[in-house]
Amino acid sequence: MVYGKWNFAQLCDFISKSGDVLTKNASHLDNVLATLDIQQHSLGVLGILCVKYNLPNIPDFETLFVQTQEFILSCNGEHVRYATDSYADLCHKFTQNLIERKQPIRGIGILVKAINKIQLFSAQLTSIHSNLCQLCLLSKALKPALQFLDFDITDIGKEGGHYDTKDFLLYYYYGGMIYVALKNYARALYFFEVAVTVTSMAVSHIMLESYKKYILVALILHGKVPNLPKYTSQVVARYIKPLCQPYHDLASSYATNNPVELRAVVSKHQEQFNKDTNMGLVKQTITSLYKKNIQRLTKTFMTLSLSDMANRVQLSGPQEAERYVLHMIEDGEIFATINQKDGMVRFMDRPEKYSSATMLLQMDQEMQKCIQLNEKLKEMDREIAVNPQYVQKSLGMHDDDLPGTSMKGQGY
Amino acid sequence: MPQPLQQAIFQPAVEPMQVDAIPEENDNIDEINYVVENTTLDLEQYAAQYSGLAKLNRLLFISDHCPVLRVEALRMALSYAMTTYNTSLYQQIHRKLSEAITSAPSLPDAVVGAIYSIPALDTQWIETTAKKAALKLEKLDTDLKNYKSNSIKESIRRGHDDLGDHHLDCGDLSNALKCYSRARDYCTNPKHIVNMCLNVIKVSVYLQNWSHVQSYVNKAEGTPEVTEQKDGSQSILKCAAGLADLATKKYKSAAKSFLLANFDHCDFTEILSASNVATYGALCALASFDRQELQKNVISSSSFKLFLELEPQLRDIIHRFHESKYASCLKLLEEIKDNLLLDMYLAPHVSSLYIQIRNRALCQYFSPYLSADMGKMAQAFNTTVPALENELMQLILDGQINARIDSHNKILYAKDIDQRSTTFEKSLAMGRDYQRRTKALILRSAMLKNQIHVKSPPRDGGQGGEMSIAPGSASSARN
Repeated sequence: MVYGKWNFAQLCDFISKSGDVLTKNASHLDNVLATLDIQQHSLGVLGILCVKYNLPNIPDFETLFVQTQEFILSCNGEHVRYATDSYADLCHKFTQNLIERKQPIRGIGILVKAINKIQLFSAQLTSIHSNLCQLCLLSKALKPALQFLDFDITDIGKEGGHYDTKDFLLYYYYGGMIYVALKNYARALYFFEVAVTVTSMAVSHIMLESYKKYILVALILHGKVPNLPKYTSQVVARYIKPLCQPYHDLASSYATNNPVELRAVVSKHQEQFNKDTNMGLVKQTITSLYKKNIQRLTKTFMTLSLSDMANRVQLSGPQEAERYVLHMIEDGEIFATINQKDGMVRFMDRPEKYSSATMLLQMDQEMQKCIQLNEKLKEMDREIAVNPQYVQKSLGMHDDDLPGTSMKGQGY
Repeated sequence: MPQPLQQAIFQPAVEPMQVDAIPEENDNIDEINYVVENTTLDLEQYAAQYSGLAKLNRLLFISDHCPVLRVEALRMALSYAMTTYNTSLYQQIHRKLSEAITSAPSLPDAVVGAIYSIPALDTQWIETTAKKAALKLEKLDTDLKNYKSNSIKESIRRGHDDLGDHHLDCGDLSNALKCYSRARDYCTNPKHIVNMCLNVIKVSVYLQNWSHVQSYVNKAEGTPEVTEQKDGSQSILKCAAGLADLATKKYKSAAKSFLLANFDHCDFTEILSASNVATYGALCALASFDRQELQKNVISSSSFKLFLELEPQLRDIIHRFHESKYASCLKLLEEIKDNLLLDMYLAPHVSSLYIQIRNRALCQYFSPYLSADMGKMAQAFNTTVPALENELMQLILDGQINARIDSHNKILYAKDIDQRSTTFEKSLAMGRDYQRRTKALILRSAMLKNQIHVKSPPRDGGQGGEMSIAPGSASSARN
């Protein structure tokens, strides 16, 4: 077994070195491919496919597509894990070619398979994740990405020793957009927050765009922009925030609860919002302000006529107010009944009394989740505590003999 | 005669009053443009309560805001200014007076005869006073130098104080403050320290430097033995602290400070009158105290009762408030509002104090009820039902009243909060929050482990290309 491992590693090395030779003989690559068995010679096939994608222009993409598909569906996962970087590279190129040919939907199934094959466990992030999200967004088929997005990442795959920050940022940016499109704002906000809080020494455009969407989604969800966590890089405060003035204006006008003011800000910065293609989200913030104002009314009133309500939240008339209230009741955002005879709305308290069995089950599940997370944290803490490097550092470097002995003490 | 001339040119450049005017304008920009038409203020009696700069400042404030009393107030201020060394203020008042008289042609004929004559600018007086002031300054300066060379601490302290007094008399506040503060190094016993603090507080009040007032009050109160002294200093300190709190909108602590003032020692005409203490204390207490506190600290306070006797209207207001006769209470308050607006320290806060008092009354009115008829409630507060509805809505949103409005039947219902449900809700939210934060932290540690961070140079080009795809896909995803 040990011998075998060594063997595969050497093979990877050999294949990457022979890239030039293969490129020179591009016309014979298909013949070489035919002699290799995908199951047994996965690394070889991978190498050749990579070279084919690297050619300046791909002569017959359809063949290549089929070949890639076949490879990903039936390659040997054990083998390709020795060349995760080439594997990821293949997927990137594959994605890029599909996007260039405007056929993003064709790649979704294949990439799902590809991720499943290369992942060690489902909470591991690979650079292929971002490709999948991109394809899903472009083809407007969002659901396939959810099976990965819904998993919380706890580990990041090592691909040839490095993982590109761009892929990480893109994954969280695209992921956030997918959740926005599916109106799962809480999760979207989390994804954008992750993208914004990546340690950074320079302004990344992805972070900038994420921050803009972060503000909008936070307004839709919470009605205000929460503070970013303490570990946010200074770059955000120093460079990114000044670049997002229209969005900050929007947030401060939102805080006044006055739809007229909000609309004024929106029309003032319309150009910028359109340029950022965030107009759809901006329009949703306006709607959410009306909803928020109606929700405020539920706190103060038991009954209220529709015309009075339209007046107070500055809607055009009873009809529009009725429409809003109706939608909000349907979405479970408020609890109320409309009496159409005299045009009165009667607000009620939340009917949830937290005594049903399903509610208890839900509580229990939530608690379990917290406990699991706590366990995970403890485990991570233990890992650090027994890490020789950490022990050595925390004890100070003054005595060379000490770390070894004390490490044993920590370990047992 | 070169010297008086120089003085006359020099003094306006310093503009001691300017120091006073600027911070005031900044403090209450939105309040500055009101005009009080109906006032029952007896100017003569009012002015007699104050001395020094306080009198001048207050008269000027009235003249700025009350056209009816403008001429009279300025005339009084002018004659009082002549008893001081403050020549520049004299000129300023004179200028204002002549403007006021010429710009008020609509006065009835009978009055015109008495008022119309503009008193001539007494240049003779200005010159002699300026000269006298310069001479006195010179004398005090040399005196101080002598004391210093003899290094007798007590005399030096007194020298500084005298110099400060003189500057104050001339209206040069910043120099007065400097001199009074310098005396600090020569204080030998607690009494001196308190004295120095009082001087500094006085000037700081004129300068409206409230943080300064506050810190010197603390300093004086922190001096040992000061608490045992039975003279007026304790009361003055309390009043100054109250004034500073009032100016910085801390109404509750202002009320507490004013309530601690002692009537018998209430003799500090250079800052406040006793009836001011009553007014400020009563209003702040009404706005910030609850029923028990009001009963205990105001109504049954024997010392503050004496103050309230000076302002019988306010005493009635407090009693009515306590007896829950809100309509008449609010009506009385409305009646004295115009007079309060002519008080230079209270004016910027009148409206917010009134709103707070009204809100407190609304809350108190409703507190014993489970449900209340809004029609009756509106009657009790001299208002209409829709206006009351708006007021109540604001109070409910601010969390001051726990109630909900039945707009259909116009009834206000107390809201019963299900503690159990809210606890469940809160704990669920807390759990979700914990999960979210922990997940973010775990992810972050994975990120750090893999050294994922944005670096500057090599990445920029690639990102630009990538971004051109991203926004396009964003819009398509949302459509």
